[in-house]
Amino acid sequence: MGEFSKSSRTPPPPIATRNCDDPKIDYKEITYLQKFLTPQAQILSRKRSGFCTQCQRQLKESIKRSRHMALLPFVN
Amino acid sequence: MNLYEGMFLLDNQVVRADWKTAKNLVVDLIKKHGGEVVTVRRWDERKLAYPIRGRRRGTYLLTFFKAAPDAIAPTRHDFELEERVLRYLILRAEAVTDAEIELSKAELADGFTVPPPPQDDEVPASEEVVVQVEEPVAEAIEEVPAEANTEV
Repeated sequence: MGEFSKSSRTPPPPIATRNCDDPKIDYKEITYLQKFLTPQAQILSRKRSGFCTQCQRQLKESIKRSRHMALLPFVN
Repeated sequence: MNLYEGMFLLDNQVVRADWKTAKNLVVDLIKKHGGEVVTVRRWDERKLAYPIRGRRRGTYLLTFFKAAPDAIAPTRHDFELEERVLRYLILRAEAVTDAEIELSKAELADGFTVPPPPQDDEVPASEEVVVQVEEPVAEAIEEVPAEANTEV
């Protein structure tokens, strides 16, 4: 079935849209990055975050940097 | 010389003793390899997302510095060996923002004092709030069946 279980056929809407010309996503903006984590602290897929390829890659890098600095958890 | 951004997670025990010593710990290591510190400031003191070497809290130091690309590898190596630095992150930076320069200057002013970090064993204020919020909810759930019983 992939991303969503049978019971919830309508996928949740993308969390945010972002202007790609904005300054790069920063690993210090913890509250912003937390929006793109599941309750288990997994990174949301592009389908659910609503980001383009480049933004999603920035998000991934930023979250991983935050995790290294113990600003965000690896697992909840 | 390139511009770099460095974030350092310092052991609270060092910070508790003296903030300037803790700051110089990082600044001296950068200067040792020919780096030139542009700004340096205390970024935050916070609870860690996961314990590191038995520490549950830590102080973050944010610095922007100029250094030769060849100097970064030995600098990293030195921070790797430094036990008082729990984690570090060195990234290339494009520019230092004005806000960052002002915050760094504010820290150098005479009246500036760094609040001493709380004890590790203390329950952080954020967790206390969570407990207070959860308790009434649990009571409310328990009360519902009790009322239902009285009605029956």
